[in-house]
Amino acid sequence: MEEMLEPNEMIIHLGPQHPMQPGPFRLNLKLKGETVMDAEVELGYIHKGIEKILENKTYLQGITIVDRICYLVALTNEECYVGCVEKLLDIEPPERAQYIRVILEELTRLQSHLLGTGEFGGFIGFVSMLMYTIKEREDLLSLIDMVTGARITHSFLRFGGVRDDLPPGFKEKTLPVLNNLKKVINDFEEMFHSDRVYKERTVGVGVLTADVAKSLGVSGPALRATGVPFDIRKNEPYLVYNDLDFKVCTETAGDCFARVQVRLNEMRESIYIIEQCLDQIPNGPIFPENSLYGRRTPVMRVPAGEVFHRVEDPRGEMGMYMVSDGSDKPYRVKVRGPVYPTLQALPPLIKGTTVADIAAISGSMDGCTSEADR
Amino acid sequence: MDVTEILKSLTGTFPEAISEATAKSEIRARAYVDKEKVKEVCQYLKDSLQFDHLCSVCGVDYIKWNELEVVYHIASYNHPVVLTLKARLPRDNPEIESVVPVYWNANWYERETYELYGIKFKNHPNLKPLLLPEDMLGEWPLRKDYEGFPNKTARNLV
Repeated sequence: MEEMLEPNEMIIHLGPQHPMQPGPFRLNLKLKGETVMDAEVELGYIHKGIEKILENKTYLQGITIVDRICYLVALTNEECYVGCVEKLLDIEPPERAQYIRVILEELTRLQSHLLGTGEFGGFIGFVSMLMYTIKEREDLLSLIDMVTGARITHSFLRFGGVRDDLPPGFKEKTLPVLNNLKKVINDFEEMFHSDRVYKERTVGVGVLTADVAKSLGVSGPALRATGVPFDIRKNEPYLVYNDLDFKVCTETAGDCFARVQVRLNEMRESIYIIEQCLDQIPNGPIFPENSLYGRRTPVMRVPAGEVFHRVEDPRGEMGMYMVSDGSDKPYRVKVRGPVYPTLQALPPLIKGTTVADIAAISGSMDGCTSEADR
Repeated sequence: MDVTEILKSLTGTFPEAISEATAKSEIRARAYVDKEKVKEVCQYLKDSLQFDHLCSVCGVDYIKWNELEVVYHIASYNHPVVLTLKARLPRDNPEIESVVPVYWNANWYERETYELYGIKFKNHPNLKPLLLPEDMLGEWPLRKDYEGFPNKTARNLV
């Protein structure tokens, strides 16, 4: 970038440590006055080598590792990893276990969207937003904690089931939290729609059109905000999502405002899904009957083969490609996270905007560098 | 679109480049592709068969066959079929054509595969390490015969 610098241009680095960033990455910006002429993302500050670590752990140990890809969405990462192994083993969890998984994953989606919205508020100078959402997120984390015993890294899913059943009184404790959340989401929406400063910072900023978003490989709320109804839960249903009634939330504007609006609407849908699950959840075992697999699965060998499994992460499409050579450890695991293409799409999005809008655009994409670096 | 239809169309258009095309389920298919023809096949998939979404590009090291594989997962925003396209490369001097002109977001995936496996992508716009530091270039850490970085550095320093 440096060779092509004109006299009135300059290069500044945003990061690796910067308050507007969801994790350490470096953004090299070529500026002309306030306008961004060119941008480049540098990754690798928290590269953990998770794909290599997974090759050296047994399948059961791997569950604790995939949690750490991104602590915000630990359960969705587990679902993807466990789903891969289940497809290789050709087993299916019983219905009750599937419902428990859906409930927990939708709770994960709620808390991730809450933190994403709050962080976004913080990035554009509306710091109280973060306080409001963190307060609500704490209730949801307590619910997840009640089932899994941990607030963020759960290690809860098992091959063919879940580690524990729902504790007694879970439904009674969940419903008030969800009802409160419905009110809070309405409040947030009203706040966003009536705040003139917020609208000026977000409406028409960082506009993605459907064609551009598709060519950049973006998925999740950022894509749905452009009007493309792409959701793995609908396109390629896993677990019991086929039996549940929910709609894919889309907007048409494709700007920062639309992305936040999609998240708020998705939270409403998640609440609706959890309510249905709590009503419909059948009694029964949480592991397949007459099966080797249980809560403490012994060292197990997985038949040779390969599989590509996709789930809908709160931020988009999460996929894992797993190759097994018949031993007790995976031969190769490729983690395809949703944030990686989103971060890659950042330079073309911020080209031509002003420095002040970078925080709004990158915040509204809801990134997580930990997942991009792995 | 149906999986068998897609595979039939693909093998019909590239009878020599595509081999071992199999449908693994209703929404998953797998095919091996000749390493010289990757770009043309991807272009055809994107233009004619609605495969407009590249999920990922990754490498796999099959050391017992002395072979590296580049694996492309290509999906669509319209239908749920995911095509796993694989290209076999020799372990010494692996080279393959870049698909960045077809799928823009292949850029980072190919950079990552390059630094982790040493697979060279020809005509890539910016082939340099993405996640690893510059001095780890040439270690190829995800290959199966990788011994560990600290030992190697110590040896280099002496």
